[in-house]
Formats: sequence, structure tokens, C-alpha cells
Amino acid sequence: MPVSTETAAATVEQAAAKEDYFTYVEGVGHIPRDIYKYVKSDPAGDLPRYSVHIVIQHFLISTTFLVLAATGLPLHFSDVFWAPYLIALFGGVDTARFIHRIAAYIMMATAAYHLVAIAGGTIRKILKNQFDYKRTQIPRPKDLFDMLHDIKFFLGFESFRPKMEKFTYKQKLHYLAIIWGTTVLALAGTALLFPDIVSKTIPEAIFKISPRAAAEGGFPSLFQDIARLMHADEAVMALIVLAFWHLANVHIVPGRFPFQWTFLTGRITREHQIEEHFLEYIHNLNEIPEEREYMRNLLKEKGLDRSGGMEVSPLEKSLESENGPAAEAAPEGEES
Amino acid sequence: MSSLRMIRTSATLLMVVFLFLSMWSYAEGADKDNCLMCHKYRFLGRVDETGRTVNYNVDEVIFTNTVHKNVSCRECHTYIKKVPHDPVTEQVNCATQCHITTPFSKERFSHEKIVETYNGSAHAVKPEDSAELKEAKPECKFCHLNPIYTRVEAERIDFEKSLNRCLNCHEAKGVTQAYKHMIHRLGRKTSRSPQDIVELCGKCHQDVELMKKFKVSERGLTAVETYKQSIHGKIITLGGDDAADCISCHASNKLHDIYKKDDRRATVGEKNLRRTCAQCHEQTNSWFVQVAVHPTTEREENPIVFFMNLSLRFALYGTVFSLVGLMILETFGRKKDGIRFLLRNGTSWLSKLKQKEKK
Repeated sequence: MPVSTETAAATVEQAAAKEDYFTYVEGVGHIPRDIYKYVKSDPAGDLPRYSVHIVIQHFLISTTFLVLAATGLPLHFSDVFWAPYLIALFGGVDTARFIHRIAAYIMMATAAYHLVAIAGGTIRKILKNQFDYKRTQIPRPKDLFDMLHDIKFFLGFESFRPKMEKFTYKQKLHYLAIIWGTTVLALAGTALLFPDIVSKTIPEAIFKISPRAAAEGGFPSLFQDIARLMHADEAVMALIVLAFWHLANVHIVPGRFPFQWTFLTGRITREHQIEEHFLEYIHNLNEIPEEREYMRNLLKEKGLDRSGGMEVSPLEKSLESENGPAAEAAPEGEES
Repeated sequence: MSSLRMIRTSATLLMVVFLFLSMWSYAEGADKDNCLMCHKYRFLGRVDETGRTVNYNVDEVIFTNTVHKNVSCRECHTYIKKVPHDPVTEQVNCATQCHITTPFSKERFSHEKIVETYNGSAHAVKPEDSAELKEAKPECKFCHLNPIYTRVEAERIDFEKSLNRCLNCHEAKGVTQAYKHMIHRLGRKTSRSPQDIVELCGKCHQDVELMKKFKVSERGLTAVETYKQSIHGKIITLGGDDAADCISCHASNKLHDIYKKDDRRATVGEKNLRRTCAQCHEQTNSWFVQVAVHPTTEREENPIVFFMNLSLRFALYGTVFSLVGLMILETFGRKKDGIRFLLRNGTSWLSKLKQKEKK
């Protein structure tokens, strides 16, 4: 869907007016915001994103989650027609429950592994004085503004996507949801697996705080009921979100289709990094000499190395003058 | 000469075999009154006064594999005095003493004690019950059909091996019978599978109209439904046998002592509940027994859980629809920006610059 010349010119003007179309990086030059449309990318990834620990953790948590869902769902929806067939795949309900527990232990161990890895990495960065909370999953007000900005862009009210850090608002939301979900699932699952122990410790704790509230009764039953509801509900929500949102977002939407290798290689493609994680890309430029070299050459090739950065994008301008509107309707099928 | 001897030998041999065979069949059938002379016919039956078709066939193969195989017909059907007999009006009474002597106490056998327990339970017919209620209450044969008394499969308990250990001290004759009789319910309270138990109890207890006649409590009306929502019920529904069925909690090892919840003797009564749960949950305590075994999310009974459920449902749909909506919006916006579904090494962006380069 090519943008018409008029709007393109208008948006470029707007962007220039805002003075944030170009980002200056020492030793590279002025980088236009839409440079991601012109870079070369290796589908297996150009820039580092995840450490090997995160890749292992993602593998472990995704496989255990699938096993947990496959053994847990038929138990929750035991009266639905497919439940007996799915349970039979695991060798009956008793075996399925056993597998469910083993997978749950692995998942909780993975969560612990993740916490240790994150804590270790953070401490190391703090010691090296490289720690920057903006590059972590910690939510901050900018994320909210980024989301509004992004929605405005999708609706056509903004010229460019927001400049986001390593983790965008979506990813932070998802990460927090996973922390919450894993905690709830693990706690509620413990309550379901050890009803006798949990129904003793929690009301007794309440009793110590407020004997009157405990005397009113209903706490063990209530807690167990809530555990049962939340365990199932969180799991179903997680499964639906993962199946319809996460999977689509990382592998199906344009630019990611047919497969994004990041979860295996731990590396992200250049165009993706610049498009969605612009600020992280600037960090990459400062940290990786090869990337600096690549970008410098690219800018030189496009004739952008001399630019003062405050004019209308020479990139767009040169195209407009040489191509004209007719070129926009050029067939696209040949390339794919 | 030799041919005569041969004929004599073979005749003797034949007689012995015949005798052996006939003795065997007698021992299997226990049919000394020859009831099977008529009842062996598969379509022996009639249309009774109410227009119902009744089949009186007795399958010898099934019967000789049940625990009652050594009891002859008339020991239970005592009202049969002559052959051919009159139309039967009486029911079999399981408290009747039969000729079987128990191998250890040498008493004449009878189910009297069980009938006694049953008569005190919630299921027993009471004098003040209306005719309709009397009709609706289950008697012995409602739950117990002769064919279910088959012994356990060898997979669960190695029948022959364990029996051999008994034979070290006991005479084979008595102990084999006793062993067979006991072993079919080893490991579980009942010989029926938990699924059968739930189905059996559900036969009446699922019937809300019927249960209303018995004036059961509100929770009692939905007992089967709520049980199936519990983790016990779900496991049993899926064919597991590692969870509680109805009998596990509502009866002690006497099995027939099922009482209403407010009865002092009831296993699910307040005082006995802890012991009942402790059958499986070892760490049972006074808090634990408050956990609902028949959970409900009804607004009246459990408002907090009801609203919790409702809000979780809203959260689920809200999250899913907003996230998928965001993704669709995002895809729309990015497509407009120029991204394409391209399967190339290099870039996914088809820009004006690229087209220029191609030329």
C-alpha cells in the first residue's frame, strides 16, 4: 500500500519540523528514522538480543508449558468430547497428572533459573558500571506514551513509530503477565497438589493476624476455590494469548513471516531492531564497531553522509524527483 | 481275546471319563433342582400383567463365574416349592441363610449383617415413607447384580501366586472359596469401578425431580453436578481410579452405612469428616475439612467465588480481544508503512528506493 506523494511529502515535512527524523551518532552520521526500510538483514539475525541463558529458558518454558497445557486442559474440561482422547495420548489420567507435575517442577526450576540469570547479569552490569534500567524490562511512563504514539501511527496520525528501547511496551506487558501468570499458576498449583498442607498454613497465618476473621470461617474453602478457578483461568488465558497473539506477533505478521529465528539464535534482524527498538540500535552502534561500519557505508551509499540532518529527508526527496508517482505502482510480485 | 479285553478296557475308560465329565458339570452348575432344564432357554419369558416383557433366562456360563456359583437356586429363591412353579410374587431376601458355611467360623452364611447396616442407612425404607418413596428407594439388587461378583483381573493381584501362599496352611477346598470371595474387593472399597459407582449413584441422585420428593437439601440436589466439577469428579470422569468416588467418602468400610449429613453416624458428618478425608489426605486437619468437595460457583451460595469467576472471565476475554485487536491494528499500520510478506533474504520492506535500484 504505497503512500501517495503528497502525504509522503507532508509527513516528511512534519517529521523534519519535529527535528527527530535524524539521530546523530558520533562516528556514523545522521541516521534517518526510516532507515530500516533500506537495510539488508540476515533472517537468522544480525544483532545480539538474548543471551544463551534466555534461549535455553525460552525453550524449557515453552516446551513445559505445552506439555502442561496438553495434560491440564483435558482435566479441566473433562466433560468435553476431546478430553478423553487427549488424556489417552498420555496414557490415562493418572499418568497425565504425573507428567503434569513433572513438567510443573521443570517449569518452576526454569523460572528460578531465569531469576538467577537475570540477577547475575544485572549484578555483573552494575559492577562494570554498564547497567541502564532503560534497557531492561522495568516498566516506565515512556512505555505508556510509546503505546499511544504507536496506536496513533497505526491509525495514520503519526509519521513514524516511536523510538523504543530493547523492550517495547508490548514486550514489557507480556513479560509482566508471564511473571504474574507463572506465580499464580505455581501457587495455585501447589494449593491443588497439597490441599492439606496449604489449607493449614494459610488460615493459620490469617488466624495469627486476625483471629476474628479466621473464626468467621470459610477461608480454607475460599482459598481452595480461588486456587482452582485461577489455576485454570490463568492457564487458559496464557494459552489463548500465546496461541493467538504471541505466536502471530513473532512469526506471522509481515516482516516476521515465515519464521523469526531470534528464539533459537538469540539474534535479531537489523531491520526489526531499527524499526521497533531504535534506541537499542543506537546502543548497538555505540557498542559494535562492525555495525558502525555497516551503517556508515550505508549512509554513504545513500548520499546521506554529508547531510546536516535538519532538512527534508534527502532520501525521500531524491526519490520523488527521479521516480515520480508512476513508479509507485510498480509490480511487487516479482521480488517475492 | 485281546479284542474283548480291548473293548472292556476302552468301555471302562469311557465310563470313567463320562463320570468325571458329569461330576464336573454338576459341581460347576450347583443346579441340583435342575432349574436350568427350563431356564437355560434364552427366550424363556412372558409378558406380565403390566405389559412388560420379562426374560427369565439364566446364563449358566455367567452364573458359574459369579461368587454365588456354589449356592443352589432354591437357597435364595426359597419360595419355589414345586416344578413347574407358580408366578413369582416374592423378592429374594439377601438376609436369608444359605447352606454355605464360612471357612473359618463355620457359620451358616448370610448377608444379614449388611442388610442390618443398610436398614439403618439413609437408603432404607422407613415405615413413614409414602408408597412412591418406598418404590424409589434402592434395595440390594438395585446396586448388586450377580455378574459383577467376578474376581479381580490377574493384572491387579496375582491371583494364583497369592493363593498358593494360603495353601501352605489351609485346606485348598475352603480357603479357595474364601479367598476368591474376599479378593475381588481388595485394594478398593468396591469391586465396581469408580466410574460405575458415580453412574450408579447418579442414576437417582442426578434426577432433580426425584430428589425433590425426598426433600434433600439445596446442595444435595446438585450433588452429582458439583462433584463432577471437583478435581475428584474430573479424574474419575476421565477414567482414573486414583481419586474419591461417592462411596469413598459417603460410606465407611461397612459400605452400606450411608446416612444424611446431619446424622451423627454419617461419614461426612462434621465429627467424622476428618477421619474420612484422612483415608487419602494424610495431613488432614480441621482447616482442611472445610474445603468444598462439591464446589459451586453459584452466586447465592458462594458470592465471592462467583464474582471472582466473573471477573476472571472478563479479564480473559478483555485481554485476548484487546491484544489480538492491537496486533491487527499494528499489522494494518505496518502494511500501510510499506512492509510486505516477503520470503527473501535481505529485507521485508519494499520501498520506493528498492524499486529505483532495480531499474
